[in-house]
This record gives sequence, C-alpha cells and structure tokens, in this order.
Amino acid sequence: MHIITHACTQCGTVVSANELESNRVMKCPGLGCENVLRFTDLDQADQEHFLDNKASYEL
Amino acid sequence: MKGVLLSGGTGSRLRPITHTGPKQLVPVANKPVLEYAVEDLKEAGITEIGVILGHKGREEIQDLLGDGSDYGVEITYIVQGNPLGLAHAAGCAKDFVGDDDFVMYLGDNILKEGVVDLVESFESGDFGAGIALQEVENPQQFGIADVDDQGNVTQLIEKPDEPPTNLALIGMYVFSPAVFDAIEQLEPSWRGELEITDAIQSLLEDGYAIDSHVVEGWWKDTGKPEDILEANQLVLEDKSLKKRGTVSDDATVDGRIELAESATIEDGAVVRGPVSIADGAVIKSGTYVGPYTSVGPNSTLEGVHIENSVVIGESSINTSGRIVDSLLGKGANIGSADDFLPEGRRLVVGENSQLKL
Ligand SMILES: [Zn+2]
Repeated sequence: MHIITHACTQCGTVVSANELESNRVMKCPGLGCENVLRFTDLDQADQEHFLDNKASYEL
Repeated sequence: MKGVLLSGGTGSRLRPITHTGPKQLVPVANKPVLEYAVEDLKEAGITEIGVILGHKGREEIQDLLGDGSDYGVEITYIVQGNPLGLAHAAGCAKDFVGDDDFVMYLGDNILKEGVVDLVESFESGDFGAGIALQEVENPQQFGIADVDDQGNVTQLIEKPDEPPTNLALIGMYVFSPAVFDAIEQLEPSWRGELEITDAIQSLLEDGYAIDSHVVEGWWKDTGKPEDILEANQLVLEDKSLKKRGTVSDDATVDGRIELAESATIEDGAVVRGPVSIADGAVIKSGTYVGPYTSVGPNSTLEGVHIENSVVIGESSINTSGRIVDSLLGKGANIGSADDFLPEGRRLVVGENSQLKL
C-alpha cells in the first residue's frame, strides 16, 4: 500500500492522508502549533492516488 | 537508530477503564505503561522517538509525553488516524525515520529487559530487520518464527498447526529503512490491515537477513485487566522501591514499599509489600494493603482489605470488605452498605464494567 503522509512545515508533526482527507482543513495536532493543514497540501499525484483508492485507506 | 512508539488502538478489551483515556496510559506500579517504553528506548540510546497516535486519547498522550524533554528525548508526533495495521503505522513513520534504522515498540507492551539487547543483536550484523521472540507453551496461538543455528529467521508462520519452534513474536522489532519498500508492496490482509509479519516475510523473500533475539525476562501485553494486574506484580517484584512518605509509629509495614513523599500510612494500618503508594494517598486505620497492590494518587483507603489490585487514583474506599485481583478506575469510590436497609449492595456502574460480588 502506498502510504501517504504530510509533515507540518512548522513543527514536523506527521499526519496521514486519511486524517487530512477526513478533516479537509485542520489545525496541526502538534503541541502548541497553530499551523493549518489541508488535504490539498499533499502532492497532486498523492491526492489523486488517495481519492482513487480511498476504500483501501478505510477500515 | 530512532524509535517508533505505537500508541493508537481502541483499548476495547480494557473497558471501562479506556472509556476515559488510552490504554497506554493505564498505570502499572503507579506509572503509565507508555513511560516504561520511552525509558526503555532511552536506555538503548534512542533519543529521537516518533509517537504514533490513533483516534483515541491523543491529547492525553501528548499531555503526558510533551516534547519528550522531561524524559531526555525528542518526540515527534505521527497521526495515523485510521488503525490500518502495524505495517501502516510503521509506514506513516517513513518521513520521520528517513535513512535510519528504527526500533518499533508497541506502547502497551512492557518487558523486563528493555530493548538494549535486541538493538545490539541487530547492530552486530547486516540485517533487514530484527525481531524479539519469546518461548511460549502454546505456539499454535501465536505468530511463530523458525530460526537457524545463528538465530537468523528462516520463516514466519501465523498460528501454525504444527509449529516448527515455540518462539513467538512479541511485538518488538528493529527495522532497516528497507522495510518501507516492503510495506509499499503490501496488500491488506483478510482483516483489512497491513500486517507487519507480511512486511518481514517480504524482506525475507527479497533476500534480507532477519535477526532474532530471544527475550529471557518476562514480557506482558497489557491489553486486558488481568494483564495489568500481572504486569503490576512483575514490576513491583523487580523495581527498587523507595519509602519517602510518612509512616506513623503505630502502623505496621513489612516488605518492600514504595511510598511517595506526600503519601501517609496512619496508625492502625497494615501494609505488606511489595506495594506502591502514590502521592496524596492516605492509608487509614483498620486498612490492610497486601502484596502486589498499587494505590494511585490522592486515594483514601479506610477499613478495606485489599491485595493484588490496582487503584488508578482519586478513589475513596471506605468499607470493611475484601478486595482482591481488582482494577479500579480513576475516581471510582467504594463505600459500605452495612447500615443500609433493605440489605444489599448499591451500585452505580459504568458501561462495560465487570463486577464479581
Ligand atoms: Zn505543526
């Protein structure tokens, strides 16, 4: 499985694509970090791959 | 070498305790299980630790561990979200791990000997991965490894009918970054998860040597209440216990006792170790606290006979009853029904609680 994650550019906290996609826009879960993370922060190719294979990223 | 500490999962087998928090924070000898893992990694010289968070208890885990500085380590949080298996959790750590090797440690596991030997064994050769094994009596119920004379793994078999060895995988691993390519090629198993054993099997098939290390000391997966009690026994048995609190002159204290600075054992109480009593706890007259009991912070015990139990904390127990082999959640209170009519027990019990009366 191609595992897609995004690392916050401000604090390094890593968030998986399924988490980003289910929230679309979220406050970074890093401690004290105010950065906003979006599913669209992922590479275009990763976004497409995730959406094309969404079922396999759900339990 | 980095560390990846898994702290997700639902903790369903530890309900109701886990209704209010993650299973990795249940205390054993008055210390959350997860802290033992952080300390084991630190002891093995691993100070960069990625903590994998699931859906449950994220804030509580972050509140406890913070940035890691209290433990002398540096923590990066990795939000896995959906629990898609151990190999998925490992895969989420790819950017954190980079080109390093890493120990993967299940945050609800606790083992006597830590991970120093596992890491040294892995580093003594050129391995794609290293796995911790323990001899078990019922290998049919575990993932089993077959190993050659040098300890190289030759085969992994899930719950074999005819096990070639009694060496079970115990949820501690060391990986080279080669595992990430193996994970990328994996498909979910029949239960919809990316299995870490499939990733190791794939490394084997790609020609990587897989090291094994047989863990001699005890190991516990603390997934169920009885496992917490057993882990509590094992830790209290081994730990060096310090008596710093107040013991009144007419209290009886034998054996090894850990008594936190602001804890008190009052006149007429009997405490027989090994026992751990946390800050703010008061053991009052007429109480017996027997071996293998941990009394959590700010708990007051009066009149009760309690042994082989874990009181997580903030509890008031004021009864002449006997409590054994029990796990009491935070803020659980037990009083006496002796003076009540009609006679009988009065219970306000949360969902998924288990009582034997
Ligand atoms: Zn951040």
